[in-house]
Amino acid sequence: MTAIEVEHLHKTFRIPHEKRTTLFETLTGAFKPPTYETFHALRDINFTVEEGEALGIIGENGSGKSTLLKIIANILRPSSGKVTALKKLTPFLELGVGFQSDLTAAENIKIYATIMGMQKKEINDKLDEILEFAGLENFRDAKLKNFSSGMQVRLAFSTAIQTDPEILLMDEVLAVGDMEFQQKCLDVLSQYRKDGVTIVFVSHDLGAVRRFCDRTLLLNKGEQIVLGDTGDVIDRYVYGGGEEASTPSNIKNESEPAETEDSPEDKNPRWGDKTVEITNVEFYDKFGNKGFRFNSFDPMTIKIFYHAHKKVFDPVFGIALYSENGENLFGTNTELKTVEIETLEGKGHVDLIIERIPMITGRFLLTVAVHTHDQKPYDWHDKQYSFDVIPTGRDAGLFEVPCNWKI
Amino acid sequence: MIVKHLKELYGYRNLIWQLAWSEFKLRYKNSILGYFWSLLEPLLMLLVLYVVFSNLMRVQVEYYQLFLLLGIILWGFFSRATTIGMFSIVGKPSMVKKIYFPRDIFVISSCITALLMSIFESLIFIMFMVFFRVPISINLVYVPLILSFLFIISLGFSLILSALNVFYRDVQFIWQVLLQIGYFGTPILYTIDIFPKYLQKFVLLNPIARILISARDTIIYSSPAKIEDLLFMFLSSIFFLLVGYIIFSRLEPRFAEEI
Repeated sequence: MTAIEVEHLHKTFRIPHEKRTTLFETLTGAFKPPTYETFHALRDINFTVEEGEALGIIGENGSGKSTLLKIIANILRPSSGKVTALKKLTPFLELGVGFQSDLTAAENIKIYATIMGMQKKEINDKLDEILEFAGLENFRDAKLKNFSSGMQVRLAFSTAIQTDPEILLMDEVLAVGDMEFQQKCLDVLSQYRKDGVTIVFVSHDLGAVRRFCDRTLLLNKGEQIVLGDTGDVIDRYVYGGGEEASTPSNIKNESEPAETEDSPEDKNPRWGDKTVEITNVEFYDKFGNKGFRFNSFDPMTIKIFYHAHKKVFDPVFGIALYSENGENLFGTNTELKTVEIETLEGKGHVDLIIERIPMITGRFLLTVAVHTHDQKPYDWHDKQYSFDVIPTGRDAGLFEVPCNWKI
Repeated sequence: MIVKHLKELYGYRNLIWQLAWSEFKLRYKNSILGYFWSLLEPLLMLLVLYVVFSNLMRVQVEYYQLFLLLGIILWGFFSRATTIGMFSIVGKPSMVKKIYFPRDIFVISSCITALLMSIFESLIFIMFMVFFRVPISINLVYVPLILSFLFIISLGFSLILSALNVFYRDVQFIWQVLLQIGYFGTPILYTIDIFPKYLQKFVLLNPIARILISARDTIIYSSPAKIEDLLFMFLSSIFFLLVGYIIFSRLEPRFAEEI
């Protein structure tokens, strides 16, 4: 049975160049019609969510994910098209909607639970349970304004999960809070999954989407790019097929020639005599497409393009990998891997094949260099290249350590 | 459609009450005298107006204190309900943007908040009734009806104002001016007889004027309400409620974008 049906949904926002917020302005401007900038937030979105299914919605910031969720929740209305929800919707767009800082914890629970659609008797029965779950039994009659923000979130969360949703709309609620809280949220989400609640889940946390969602919808600038099996859609998102928007800005291939010869390492990120020049460095994903974003644990190939202006003997190509804070994580070169390059002349490329990216998440910087056998640099690009790794699992940290638990 | 909406509202009755009650509590939470402020305010008003009008301007009306107090309370309700109601949408942006329930719930519950405040004030009026030994008559049966008309008319105005206020923020200032004009255009401080005959017709076009007159007749002066007045009040409450809902439901879809 279908739970949500979205047909030819369009949403445009009209952003006036000059906002008229008063009657006076509207009257005085009656003869000068206001000019608008039309912004297409969503274009022709079509999908259905089956009962008991979990649908993920992913996409860049500004791709229309939240707008779509708000339209399903009936907070915003479509410009054209239709959205039908055949069951009761419970939106978790924000925790603690309607909290009043001047009322006590118990009073706020009552209001919030009522907003979330709970019945009076149910609320009274569960009041103690909610307070206990939030760890706030002793603060029942304390005013909310005296609570820390962490306590407020706990209170809101404990209340919200007492609702009995048929369709749950969830928007980045997980983004707030510490690891422990996020874990709690995920536990609740999996409980809802088990209970057969229909879920629409908007998130940037691709790991969570991968874990919970049967199908996923990818949006880009308001357009429906693909809808399908979560794994495929995430691949499509991460390896986007040459998205120019995702190019990190700090890539400068054509850096200026070294002017200050004296202390090159301090200032200029590129040095060497350029007998052999590194002309470009490119990253390729498992589909053979160029990109800057990779799933962790996926394969990747780094192609280093060179131009040897004259014949050189026994050169060494090397790379060094850094975290975003500049810690050196790994380094290797052709010599260490006992790959001998006897001579080099003209143009070509050297490939470094990584079978499995062991990094879990983050942006990584890469130094690429070519130098003589005795460490004299031909061309050295210090931390000039970068790529992003997107988490696919739920392990924490920077690197995966291959391991197993045994009990 | 109307029945369906009423059913929906009935399903939300708890929410309406919770919102109204918490707002009511909030209004007094931070003042030292708490709830007593709301008793003191009309009393002080009464004192000043009574001194001015009965001594200086020599208004001759039987039970003038009660006449005045009832006027203050009923007009106070209208003015308060529409003022709180006007801010009921713009005052709650986080709720409007993050959750959905029928938006008129905000307006209805703020009118109920105003009602709770006025009921509280009415305690003074009842004390005055007892103190001055005003005879009680069967005509009190009209009172709930008259007060319902007042509530519905106030709700109608609140719906219009709350929706307009989202788009035009100067509505609040305009409404304050209109309320001031209404205060003197309605027989609150004096009987309708002080208006010249030809003006009385216009004053009686104001449904609040009819409500005040009928309420005083039935509560203080033990006389029945005029059928003509009741009919007029009934029709005008239907009218304002209808206009209110038409304007509100036309503007409501864009609330979350504009607020």
